[in-house]
Amino acid sequence: MENFEYFEPKTVQEAVGLLVKYKRAAKLLAGGTDLMLGMKEGFVQPRYLINLKTIKGLDKIAYSKKGGISIGSLTTWTAILSSGAILEHYPILREAASLIGGYQIRNRGTIGGNICHASPSADSAPALMVYGAQCVVSGPRRERVIPIEEIFSGAQKTSLKPGEILTGFRIPTPDPKSKGCYLKFSPRKAMDLPIVGVGALVRTSNGTFEEVKIALGAVAPTPIRARKAERFLVGKPVSDPSIRQAAEEAVNESRPITDLRASREYRLGLVRELTGQAITQSL
Amino acid sequence: MKTSKIRIKVNGEWHELTVPNQKTLLEVIRGDLLLTGTKRICDTGECGSCTVIMDGKAVNSCIVLAVEANGKEINTIEGLSQIGKLHPIQEEFVAKGAIQCGFCTPGMIRNDYDGQSPTGASGLPAASTLQGSGSLPGSMRTSPGPRSW
Repeated sequence: MENFEYFEPKTVQEAVGLLVKYKRAAKLLAGGTDLMLGMKEGFVQPRYLINLKTIKGLDKIAYSKKGGISIGSLTTWTAILSSGAILEHYPILREAASLIGGYQIRNRGTIGGNICHASPSADSAPALMVYGAQCVVSGPRRERVIPIEEIFSGAQKTSLKPGEILTGFRIPTPDPKSKGCYLKFSPRKAMDLPIVGVGALVRTSNGTFEEVKIALGAVAPTPIRARKAERFLVGKPVSDPSIRQAAEEAVNESRPITDLRASREYRLGLVRELTGQAITQSL
Repeated sequence: MKTSKIRIKVNGEWHELTVPNQKTLLEVIRGDLLLTGTKRICDTGECGSCTVIMDGKAVNSCIVLAVEANGKEINTIEGLSQIGKLHPIQEEFVAKGAIQCGFCTPGMIRNDYDGQSPTGASGLPAASTLQGSGSLPGSMRTSPGPRSW
């Protein structure tokens, strides 16, 4: 690893100041479970490393029925797994968290780091998407809040502007009548990335789909919402043919690549299968 | 070379060191403190052989910077046995033949037991993990033998 200057800011403003000063030569360090690998391999070589873990309060979870949940970007997977509010109201996020890495990785890795690393296969992204999560972003100007879909701008790229830091997420309380799940397909049971990941959140009434959210991981340059599949299902009867057709729509919206984990065709097959399964399991 | 002064409590004893900023906690534990029970195998946070307990949580010390550990309490495999007496988990590993070449065993044991709770880091009663599920997520056995992941 190359040598770098190391900072431990105490406030978000201080961290923003450092980012503004050192620009692209600086990197933010959260859990380090991705960044450290990049630094060791040499394809990320920050001259200035800014450790966000020394900022108090960025790892907090706060829930109220009216306002929903706010999750600090430095919250670890282990903390998410031990949150009663997440267990009760956001089980899909909990499911995704439980499938990330192994114990040691979950003790270090953070939800904000997972999103800012912006891997198309980020396990937390489909869960955050189906829940309609908003990202809270601090920077040299005013704090801004953007939908989770808008934070991804490409593979390993975010839409954060120079000097901006993702400080947390706000997620409204889901309708108690809705149900959902996150399905991850990976060859190993632990310490693995998804070949395809599918999140679904569904509400039905009198045998009809009322609200449907579907999000897909590892099938495009960024995690995506399967909006055509969602639109197709709303108002349709809860039946195998409509679920099958929705899965077909999700396949049509996916743009997977062939890489060492799987071929494009294999991924498309998985989208068809897992989308159908995810909707069915969410009924 | 940019360096930082750190103070870490390892197995109950405080150490003060000046470290290059890019040095990992693993390199300090093995290289500076000469506690070589903690192993370096994959060096990318995958295999779990470098697992130590930092402030009560199992972490891969190969992907933790030494500067990040400043002020923290670290427990390594050396901190587990008491004056020549093995910890029950260690006894269990011996009794069940869980050790093959043994190189990755310290990491497995530290992964299973965080030293804080009566249960292992896996949430299962300490030492029952290997008997129960036959797996210890976060630890990959590297010697030939039954798959452990």
